[in-house]
Amino acid sequence: MPSPIDALELPFMRTALAEVVLLGAAGGLLGAWIVLRELAFFTHAAGTVTFPGLVVADATGIAPQAAGAAVALAYAGGVHRAGARRHDEGAATGLLLVAALALGVVLASDLLDAGAGVDRLLFGTLLGLGTGDLVAGALAAVAALAATLALGPVWTASAFDEDGSRALGLPVRRADGLLLALVAVAVVAALPAVGALLVTAVFVVPAATARLLARDVRELLGLGVALAIGEGVLGLYLAYWLDVSPGPAIAALSALVWGAVATATAIRSRGARG
Amino acid sequence: MSGTARTPEGAAGRAPVEARGLTVGYGGRAVLEDVTFAAGPAETVAILGPNGGGKTTLLRALLGELVPLAGSVHLARPVACVAQSDRTRLDFPVSALDVALMGALARGRWWRRPGRSDREAARAALERVGLGAEADARFGALSGGQRRRVLLARALVQDAQVLLLDEPFAGVDQASAQRIVALFAELRAEGRTLLVTTHDIEGARAFDRVLCLNRRQVCFGPPGECLGRAALEATYGSEIVVLEDEGGPTRAITVQHHDR
Repeated sequence: MPSPIDALELPFMRTALAEVVLLGAAGGLLGAWIVLRELAFFTHAAGTVTFPGLVVADATGIAPQAAGAAVALAYAGGVHRAGARRHDEGAATGLLLVAALALGVVLASDLLDAGAGVDRLLFGTLLGLGTGDLVAGALAAVAALAATLALGPVWTASAFDEDGSRALGLPVRRADGLLLALVAVAVVAALPAVGALLVTAVFVVPAATARLLARDVRELLGLGVALAIGEGVLGLYLAYWLDVSPGPAIAALSALVWGAVATATAIRSRGARG
Repeated sequence: MSGTARTPEGAAGRAPVEARGLTVGYGGRAVLEDVTFAAGPAETVAILGPNGGGKTTLLRALLGELVPLAGSVHLARPVACVAQSDRTRLDFPVSALDVALMGALARGRWWRRPGRSDREAARAALERVGLGAEADARFGALSGGQRRRVLLARALVQDAQVLLLDEPFAGVDQASAQRIVALFAELRAEGRTLLVTTHDIEGARAFDRVLCLNRRQVCFGPPGECLGRAALEATYGSEIVVLEDEGGPTRAITVQHHDR
């Protein structure tokens, strides 16, 4: 078991650490709104649809973040037009996920030299995170914080009671569109570290865990950020130790924590009922 | 356009709620046709009709969520909407006070954080609906009637001139129902307009006007006019049971109503 201090001697680990902290802040904040607005599947899809775009960018030298953002925002725009709250779109989203993955793999086998690149795009990487990735992560965190402060009450009210909020005169639809766009952009910022397939490890799972414990929205936000950063940092260390991609390490750890908390709260509420 | 609008009690301008020749539906198919009515300030309107008769559809059309296939609607704002409570999520992490405070978002600019005066207004509104002691209780932990009263408190904080309530008495305990009825009288005395969908024909007698719907407008007028045997049978068809009709007012209940 390597010493965490030694790990931090390595420059790439320091960069990765800063990146997961920034992404944890963005993911914990946006995650609260994602779980309250029931956008978990959208978030997963927004990550996965970027995969073919990333392959093309990788092979052609286009900036991957530009390609990813273009695809994710286009997807968010389509969902917004169709109406974000329509839950009967599950099948369409599922098909889109399969198509995006298949197209990405086909493109990769044609365009990329070896399978190694695919792995990195899908599951993230510890090595090779650069200043640009940190800037993107910081922008995502700042945008998530600013939007939470400005739009939090509106997002809360409209997630709680959409019709009532519209009657209140709140800009429900525009606030919704902004949330979708923000999630899409933040997901793209997280792609280099956790990969296209596992963005939910940062944006959904910590907030879903916090949701089990939080009594109000403020707690949900605070606990979500704490869990997202804590699981990100610990997952990063696990990835370094076990020599795996950080995406799967963070995802597995977050899922374990969710499972433990869900079990504990279920036992406690059964106990409370007698 | 406003030349022929009914202006009750000499108030200037149009009535707060008005529909003229309104036809609405989903996907181009009409589910409610030819509705023409108006409700003035300090007026309460009970909206009766069988399930699928168009009650909720009418509220959605008034709110502008459904575009009329024909005719027009007018609704004065601020308006409050208390939807059927099953449409709010019970596992949502908000307290009764949080929900009442949402009404304050409509008063100021929506990006402004609620301040102390908003909190005081929200607590006062909860007191007024008889839930002062439950301010910090989780919304989902309250009973159906209490939840409905919290949503009414939100409308009080909002200071809405028009209140649209979708079956506020469905699944509500007696204590809550009495409290809601008393509150309706207070709101009316304050000059507000209330539109209330209900299955309670007897309760509808306490309203100023009754609007009977069965995929079209059957009757709009005072209770004495619209709660007679003929109008009720036209509204409910076989769903109606007339209990007593000997000289006195018609007593009738509906059967077959489901709990949504």
